[in-house]
Amino acid sequence: MKEILKIAASLTAVCIAASMILGFVYAKTEHARKANEERIEQETIQGLLGYGPGQKPPSDLRIYPVYRYVVTSEKGETSLGYVLPLKDKKVALAEIDLSGNPLRVVPIPAEMSALTDKATRDNAVNLVITKGSKSVYAQTIFVADLGDKRLGYVAPGVTQGFKTFIKLMVSLNPDFTVTGVAVTYSEEDPGLGAEIQKNFFRDQFVGKTQDMLKKLTVVKEPLPGDYAAVLDPAKAKKKGLTAEQIKEVKQKHLNDNIYALTGATISSRALTNGVINTVKKFVYRLEILSEATKKEQLSVAF
Amino acid sequence: MSRNLQLVWNGLIPENPIFRLALSMCPAVAVTTSVENGLMLGLAVVFVQVFSSVTVSIFKSFIHPRIRIPAYVIVIALWVTVIDMILPVISPDVYKKVELFVKLIVVFAIIISRLELFASKEPLVPSFFDGLGMGIGFLFGLCLIGAIREFSGTGQIFGYDILGFNPLLIMVLPAGGFFVIGFIMAIFNWIEYKITGKIPTSGGAH
Repeated sequence: MKEILKIAASLTAVCIAASMILGFVYAKTEHARKANEERIEQETIQGLLGYGPGQKPPSDLRIYPVYRYVVTSEKGETSLGYVLPLKDKKVALAEIDLSGNPLRVVPIPAEMSALTDKATRDNAVNLVITKGSKSVYAQTIFVADLGDKRLGYVAPGVTQGFKTFIKLMVSLNPDFTVTGVAVTYSEEDPGLGAEIQKNFFRDQFVGKTQDMLKKLTVVKEPLPGDYAAVLDPAKAKKKGLTAEQIKEVKQKHLNDNIYALTGATISSRALTNGVINTVKKFVYRLEILSEATKKEQLSVAF
Repeated sequence: MSRNLQLVWNGLIPENPIFRLALSMCPAVAVTTSVENGLMLGLAVVFVQVFSSVTVSIFKSFIHPRIRIPAYVIVIALWVTVIDMILPVISPDVYKKVELFVKLIVVFAIIISRLELFASKEPLVPSFFDGLGMGIGFLFGLCLIGAIREFSGTGQIFGYDILGFNPLLIMVLPAGGFFVIGFIMAIFNWIEYKITGKIPTSGGAH
């Protein structure tokens, strides 16, 4: 009996010591880790919009986040709540029912920059929705303006990968043509499925219009040599291809389907379906949102 | 040679975790599709092995012998979680690449076996060098397998294109990992046979 107490005490002491060290390290690193994550997200978005590393974004580039919440009322009716940045720096929550009719618009007494933190934002939304209803955060879309002109959109998406889900971001121009795809989280096999993150695969989506995406499939054919050379910037540089030549080859292959990665057909299909679905959903939601803001005569910032 | 240097050398070649002890074979096959992957995971293992060995060596008198295995697992998990939290702060880009592998280190057989066989009996300094040697040996093994597989599978080394084509795609697939490890192990045994003149006895496999 005495020994078992000794063992229990010893194991408890080990656990407490370990948890104290972990707690200390977590407290010290949490802030820096969050800041890094935010910076990486910003860089990904800017990269998708065409201002990758080494290219300074112009000073009149404005990226507006739009947060989407799913609001469930007391009676169990579901509606969508969009946290929208308005002109003169105000913020509003626009509630839209599932068939696309605007329900109501309530102002949120906070600045948009303060709402980037998820916990603060959740609180702010919960304060303004009708009593008894619940709100759950769904996703964030980004609208980018260059001066007064619409530059494009960045929409996040999730798709089922080989093992777990793949998180991705798709950037679109105002005509909803894909301008870039980024994989922000994936657990695909290194050397096989993880190749979906490489330029030569994900840049195959660039230039695909909405109509092309509807018919897009994955083909199990080798990537043509000339196409492979222009999809990888390092290879194109090595071959000494000019910007015109690159454009020409890309134009030639614009209507091609997606060439599957060797040994990773499932991951290739996963990302392709992810991009198609993300664009489809985004376009549908954006139409409803812009209709609703027109009906309510909201002066949104973008 | 001093004993400490001997311990490091011992982990590198005569008792190399992968090729001689045949421990932690799963990660050795799973992540070695390129040199870079091998290097990253190897460095993380060096860190965890050294810190766990030192911790266990210091506190070995406090750990009741009947609960030593759970205590070791907690120590390993502690250091793995610490890297998992510190690495994204120091270098987010590297972390993005090794995120998946780092969490797996908790269950690596090599680390717990060194704690049980060495650190729980020896004082601090030899334990440190034993951990370092084993970590470096593991790092060396991963890099060697990774280099062979990456070069023969994709014609690249460290992501730089050397051949410009894929000579043997099977090498980057899991089967290739078994082939490469098998061949290197055979070479190690052959060298031992040449030096000692005895046919090597088989080690334990985990």
